[in-house]
Amino acid sequence: MERPIFHPVGTPVEQLDTPALVIDLDVMDQNIKTFQSYFANSIVKARPVVTSHLCPQIAHRQLEVDGTTGGIAVTTLGEAEVFANSGFSDILLANQVVTASKIRRLCALAGQTSIGIAVDSPDNAKQLSVGAVSAGIELRVLVEIEAGMGRCGITPGPEAVALAQVVDGLPGLKFEGIMGSVPGPRGDDDPSDHEAKSRANLKIVLDTKTAMEQAGLAVSVLSVGGTHCYAQAIQMPGVTEVRAGRYPLMDHRLKSFLPELAPAARILASVISHPVEGMAVLDAGHKSTAPDQGRPVLEGMEGGVATRFSAEHGIIELEGDAQNKLNPGDKAWLVPYELGATVNQYDYFRAIKNGKLEGFWPISARGRLA
Amino acid sequence: MNEHYRPTPGTAMEGLDTPCLVIDMDDLDNNMDVIANTYEGRSAKLRGHSKNHKTPAIAHRQIRRGGTVGGVCAAKVSEAEVMVHGGIPSVFITSEIVEPIKIQRLAALADQAEMLVACDQESNARDLSKAAQARGVEISVVIELETGLLRCGVRETDAGVALAKEISSLPGLRFRGIMSHQTIPDMPDREDRAVEAARTIKGVIDLKEAIEGEGIPIDIISTGETWSYDVAAEIPGVTEIQGGSYLMMETHYSYMTEFHYAAKILTTIISTPKPGVAIGDAGVRAVSSLSGMPTVFDRPGVTVEALDSDHAVFKLDSDASLKVGDQVLLIPAQQDAMVSRWDRFIGLRHGQVEVVWDIQARGCHN
Repeated sequence: MERPIFHPVGTPVEQLDTPALVIDLDVMDQNIKTFQSYFANSIVKARPVVTSHLCPQIAHRQLEVDGTTGGIAVTTLGEAEVFANSGFSDILLANQVVTASKIRRLCALAGQTSIGIAVDSPDNAKQLSVGAVSAGIELRVLVEIEAGMGRCGITPGPEAVALAQVVDGLPGLKFEGIMGSVPGPRGDDDPSDHEAKSRANLKIVLDTKTAMEQAGLAVSVLSVGGTHCYAQAIQMPGVTEVRAGRYPLMDHRLKSFLPELAPAARILASVISHPVEGMAVLDAGHKSTAPDQGRPVLEGMEGGVATRFSAEHGIIELEGDAQNKLNPGDKAWLVPYELGATVNQYDYFRAIKNGKLEGFWPISARGRLA
Repeated sequence: MNEHYRPTPGTAMEGLDTPCLVIDMDDLDNNMDVIANTYEGRSAKLRGHSKNHKTPAIAHRQIRRGGTVGGVCAAKVSEAEVMVHGGIPSVFITSEIVEPIKIQRLAALADQAEMLVACDQESNARDLSKAAQARGVEISVVIELETGLLRCGVRETDAGVALAKEISSLPGLRFRGIMSHQTIPDMPDREDRAVEAARTIKGVIDLKEAIEGEGIPIDIISTGETWSYDVAAEIPGVTEIQGGSYLMMETHYSYMTEFHYAAKILTTIISTPKPGVAIGDAGVRAVSSLSGMPTVFDRPGVTVEALDSDHAVFKLDSDASLKVGDQVLLIPAQQDAMVSRWDRFIGLRHGQVEVVWDIQARGCHN
């Protein structure tokens, strides 16, 4: 576990023990309002993907604002268990669950709350059916279509239709529709190129819906993701929900694709050494920033760039007027490149308002990968 | 924290919910014994770095098996707290501790165990001295010298001597010596490693002689890491080696065949969407892709092509096959980053659970 100092509410943020993952509640609330307003007057709704923050308090705040389906999406069974215990009544596990032990856990959970699950093979559908029947519950099932991610999902077209028919005919399962995930942009992708790619990938999902309906199946849910493709998804008739995770807290990777949203989650770090001109060393390294998919970005210091992260040290290179800034004890702010990976390294968000601590919000589903 | 999942000893690996972090106990014990044997009869000993395992039980196990100074290194104050509370009698924090709030925590620990800390600034030494005096404790201070990592550490011998004089004069502090850390690219040949270690550590020995020349005694020269664990220990004057990666191992050090890959991620195939491709349930959040993709253990023809947040995409050669439900073990490119993502090790011997260890200092960034 993290072992932070639990400062009293009202403590100025700069006095917090570092490194600290800080969320600005006003910025977060504004992001939620802005993003969900796109769905408020549409038949398409947002389904918050809580894997991005793993924090029930944030998810409850999302559902309190108009524009959602009233349900959430998770990636792992462990996450589903945490959020079910935190009162969520509609949870889509947007992934495959295949082992006997996990199918038992899944069906036990479905006895407590309404569970949706993604399926991409007839064998798995049959296993889930057996589990559901023996537990006396019903699972809502979405057929997962491969829509450009290059990972799970059945091939679009006749195979997908056949799988939907299998699901539809199995006891304990309720065929609801289709799920597809559309690949997100890298930080340096061109936004208009990315939009065109997203449209093409979304069309794959919609075409499969048409094929299923022609085969006589009722497709009531068409769920696509994620945050980055909402604008294209919302314009495509037939889509019913957009699974979106990053929008409340944002990260650097999506910054240029959703400029109307601001980073609400940032890492507060302290300078521990300024050994030579032009270099400062932070107490935040890769264990507190998870730069696997991209380096976090130094904020608010012109002439300063975060260039290297070893396990517990972050190196800032300083140029021009900044050469002698960031001395031992000074604070620095880093914006995560990839939100989910960063959140995964912490047990608490330090929630702030107007620069003062509001509370430590548990990242309750952290580490629930299984 | 993943509170609920704690498999009973005796559970077969095939029965584990995945992804999970497993450690092969035979391999772990082998790696510990290599250390015990290497340092037997030598003046230099290992001070194992706890940042790599973050688990007091593992630190105690290495100390019991031998080859160590009887204490550990830690990267952070909070990590040191876990080790001290777990009964480790001597902890060396190998980073500079500069914030008042952390210096207080360090001073409080010095009441319970021998605490050593790295220092590269005179003002920091004075802050440490004040806190030690206020609590009536002694903090051992070790100068950090920069020898290739280009991060913390004094850059020149003169600055090191001046800092040593300052530390020696301050009440509440005990000046102990010098530390320095180096990392190198692949260098399989032992002779090459010996030359490289001598080259990078020379500055440390020079500074040692300069400080001793001023009449200031030194009893700790702490340097090296896994790549130089054997060769750095042969350099006269070196008293402690800071090693950590050797315990779990990683493909980065694949040439050090005396150490075995002990820690791995166990993942289950959840989808086989098309021929030649299989999807595992472990991604970046489980295994980390820092320093490169993980390597598939003992399954010829299977490689990791991509790692998403929670999925691994495996590529299969024509003669390899994987079906839904199969388990695959992944060896990390960098074990340190992998371990920092988990709350417990599941220790397996001959494929069955022997022990479950809480990674108590996971998340100890402060």
